[in-house]
Amino acid sequence: MPEQTPPTTDNIPCIRRLTIQRFRGIKKLTWWPSAGVNVLLGGGDVGKTTILEAIALLLNPTNASTLSDSDYWQREYEEGFMIGAVMSLPLSCGIAQQRKTVWPWEWDGKLPKVPDLEGETEPENPVFCVRVCGTPDFELSYEICQPDESIDHFPVSVRRNIGIVRLSGDDRNDRDLRLIQGSALERLLSDKTLRSRLGRKLAESDVEGELKDEAKTALVELDGRFSKRALPAQLGLGLVGGPGFSLNALIGLTAEKNGTSLPLASWGAGTRRLAALEVAAAHQAEHPIMVVDEIERGLESYRQRVLMEELIANPSQVFVTTHSAPAVSAADAASLWYVDAGGSVGSLPADKIGAQQRRDPETFLSRVAIIAEGKTEVGFVRKLINRALGEDMRRHGIWVSDGGSNTEALTVLQSLSESGLKVGAFVDREETNNAGWTAVKEKLGDLLMRWQAGCLESNLIQHVPVDRLEDFICDLEGDSGERRRILADRLGIEDKSFAAIKDSASNLRQLIIEAATSASHPDLAAPAETKKAWKKHGQRYFKTLAGGEELADKLFDFDLWPHVAGELLPFVNAVRNAVGLPSITTVQ
Amino acid sequence: MSDASVAEALRSDARLVVVEAPGGCGKTFQGASFARDAAATIGDGRLLILAHTNAACDVFAARTRGLSRRVEIRTIHGLITEIAGAYHKAFGLPLDVGAWARREDGYDQLAARTATLLAHHPMIAACLARRYPLIICDEHQDASADQHAIIMSLHATGAKLRIFADPMQQIFSGNSQAEVRAAEQQWTNLVNAACRYEELDQPHRWTNGQPALGAWILAARATLKSGGQLDLTGDLPTGLTVHLADNTARRGAGFSASAEQRKPIQDRARAPSILVLTGRNDTVTALRTFFWRSLPVWEGHVRDGLEALVTHTKNNGGNAEALAAGILKFMGAVATGFSPTAFGNRLIEEARNGCVATCRGKPQLVQSIARHLVESPDHRGVARALERVRDLAFNDSSFSDVKIHHTRELAEAIQLSRYECPEEGFSELARRRSHARPALPARAISTIHKAKGLEFDNVMLLPCDRGNFGDTRKARAKLYVALSRATHSLMLVVSPSNPSPLLKIS
Repeated sequence: MPEQTPPTTDNIPCIRRLTIQRFRGIKKLTWWPSAGVNVLLGGGDVGKTTILEAIALLLNPTNASTLSDSDYWQREYEEGFMIGAVMSLPLSCGIAQQRKTVWPWEWDGKLPKVPDLEGETEPENPVFCVRVCGTPDFELSYEICQPDESIDHFPVSVRRNIGIVRLSGDDRNDRDLRLIQGSALERLLSDKTLRSRLGRKLAESDVEGELKDEAKTALVELDGRFSKRALPAQLGLGLVGGPGFSLNALIGLTAEKNGTSLPLASWGAGTRRLAALEVAAAHQAEHPIMVVDEIERGLESYRQRVLMEELIANPSQVFVTTHSAPAVSAADAASLWYVDAGGSVGSLPADKIGAQQRRDPETFLSRVAIIAEGKTEVGFVRKLINRALGEDMRRHGIWVSDGGSNTEALTVLQSLSESGLKVGAFVDREETNNAGWTAVKEKLGDLLMRWQAGCLESNLIQHVPVDRLEDFICDLEGDSGERRRILADRLGIEDKSFAAIKDSASNLRQLIIEAATSASHPDLAAPAETKKAWKKHGQRYFKTLAGGEELADKLFDFDLWPHVAGELLPFVNAVRNAVGLPSITTVQ
Repeated sequence: MSDASVAEALRSDARLVVVEAPGGCGKTFQGASFARDAAATIGDGRLLILAHTNAACDVFAARTRGLSRRVEIRTIHGLITEIAGAYHKAFGLPLDVGAWARREDGYDQLAARTATLLAHHPMIAACLARRYPLIICDEHQDASADQHAIIMSLHATGAKLRIFADPMQQIFSGNSQAEVRAAEQQWTNLVNAACRYEELDQPHRWTNGQPALGAWILAARATLKSGGQLDLTGDLPTGLTVHLADNTARRGAGFSASAEQRKPIQDRARAPSILVLTGRNDTVTALRTFFWRSLPVWEGHVRDGLEALVTHTKNNGGNAEALAAGILKFMGAVATGFSPTAFGNRLIEEARNGCVATCRGKPQLVQSIARHLVESPDHRGVARALERVRDLAFNDSSFSDVKIHHTRELAEAIQLSRYECPEEGFSELARRRSHARPALPARAISTIHKAKGLEFDNVMLLPCDRGNFGDTRKARAKLYVALSRATHSLMLVVSPSNPSPLLKIS
């Protein structure tokens, strides 16, 4: 008998491809999420939560769902909506045991394929195609699409077994801590007859006996009136069920606080959310898909970090939205995605943006992120933009971030510009990676400010009038001693008076630029000590955040703006336009 | 007791249990009672009972009533058609692969492609194995190599198998020596791979019939299997009669005998219940004449003549002459007497000439048949023409030589006129036939192939000569299948001058 190796059936449910059409604010979206944790970033109202809710609706463990016209894109309910997923599913979820046989497709990395008779495809990657459609009659139909193009029912039992754990952003929502049908708690306890047993018990209780005397009299009188009208008589009070009333929904987890048993719902939002997650985790014989809206809600930074790390350690596929920098920086082993205003999901690949994610997670949370190539540029751009806006740029969601270096900035920009995140940059021209920068320039336009030549320092200093050079190198306290010392050292003279320096220097302006940019010692044979010291000269000038700010102030104090406006104004206006402000003709 | 050890093996944890199950030894009883027990413990999956015929499915269904939620009973064709349907795009076939297979005689192709698909994609087999963690295979000796491979794919990906087979009833496999050897090898491999191998050896079928006959048949099976010769010279068991008669027919497939030798045969055929078995299709027709058409032909489920007619009609739409030739061929398959010289040539000529000749008498009647083809040169015209033929055969003296033997097949051909296209009609008729399951009449003539799986009180087998039962593996199986149909009495008509080498008569 030929031995076949059974396929390695991943025992973790995973959405390979998600398609949303005309659901709420999303007209059309196709997304290939990763296994593991997916962190969705993006501004407000771009559809991050809608994506999570679409997943939750597709895997809804109950059939009880009510639709309204707002669930349809632009309320065009006549057109219906569709949420579809190509999923890897463990066979233990019962997909193979439905009334009709459900057949696997083969996943080719992008699309489900009908398995063919040719070629070896090891290892196999079986997937199933499921979807939920909102009909024009406000009904949901759950469907499985088979390789022969027929459609079968996607039963609630399978959805239940795949499992979805949902922590929604809704503050009062504690459904998973209650015995509501399909909740995590209900699935965990899985006691199907509790409801009827409790019902029977409650029905035995003597409600009338509990009534106060006046109430008893009123009931007796009502009975009399009923008798007269030949209505059913012998009235009593008992437990009567009815649509919309669920006994189980009244039952929820309680815990002891100061000796009193209180509903868990009365704890803070963060605790409730963590508790709900724990309930779900306890049920995780299989690994449910989790959707966590606004992971930071109710949690201090350290608890956000812990929660994120726990989600990453868990093999489940998770979908998280966040606006929190601690959460983003803790998500270093997660896949980051950026949802743009057009509702498309762009990848932020870890190998490209990982360093930036650790350095400055705020980059990914802003409305417009500007990657500046170093500290100087960060300080300079902040000041410049604030000045151009006439107010703090953070009010507009603009964030200036240190890109680390010219090369690193390019790497980050290359992937950020693909992701849909609105991004700008402020960098030197180093004459390396010109092709890469040209490509980024094409994407970003004026939002990329790359000097025609040289760097920030050189571009400003070259326009300082000779008679003001001394003033220019004064620090914020009006002292220029340290910077003059550096110039004297570079000239190899003892006297650090400006006059002496001026006399010794063949080109004073060039000397200052070299010092400000830490130009290397021209003599390779110079002592290592000296060479090292020269490399640090720039820090005494402007190679700090404060130095950058100083340059921005001096740009205007020394009236240099007219000389560089040609390069800086388009950038300033591009940033203004990116947050919806009109262009200006100059910066005051 | 083999019954007890078989029952125990079936219920064991063994992943592969093979039970050699001679006919009449309680295989269905064992299978069904195991199915009832297993259904209770199978959990979320289903027990799949795979049979080869709809009739066998019915038997299992009747014996596992009430378990339908946990037990699925289907033919292997049905399972293959379902898989092939789901992946019809991979096969480059239309959505309704079942109709395609019926039309193109493509069941073997479907099985081959499905076996390849499952071999390439164990994930599909794994899904099925999850759905059917336990599979009972009935009459597994009838499984083709591809069908066997499909079942083994499910086994390899997790399904436990309970296989019932009687290699001695393997008469459907291919004709060539190589194919027979391959089938034998497949059986040997299966037995070697089995975790448990058991044999049923209690002739339950004969308990209420003729137990002595049952014991003899089981012993005969062992003899035939081991390559021996059945000794008919000594004392024969109650119920078994041997009648010596030479076939005097001149044509190979015909049958006749001298008046003296013929009488006991014809006497026996007058019994209220009798199944006359013979090896070949043409001999069935000859025997019908031999018994003065007092015995109907058991047509089974296959309609070779009709299938050929449907294909021919489809390929020759609009050509009345060609359609007439198709009718002639079809009548040759379902009747005798509708010969080219008596009717056919004239029919074709009329169809070619558009029925313009003025004539009377028999030619006019033939013209009335051809007219249907001229007026409507398609399957409807063919059906109406055949209806006219049947009408004349029954009612007109000039057609009295036309003897219809396959009445159902002819009736089905006539029904084709109800359908939009001949293939759709053929598919639908096939579907109805497998659901309606026409009952076997109390008296009938049948080929051994078509009688497979049936049982009958009284059976007569003829002619038992070298031509029908040579010393081959296949002939041994065929002889055993014929013998084991009888529950009360069995009469072997043996040729004394040219006896089968499998029988010892002197």
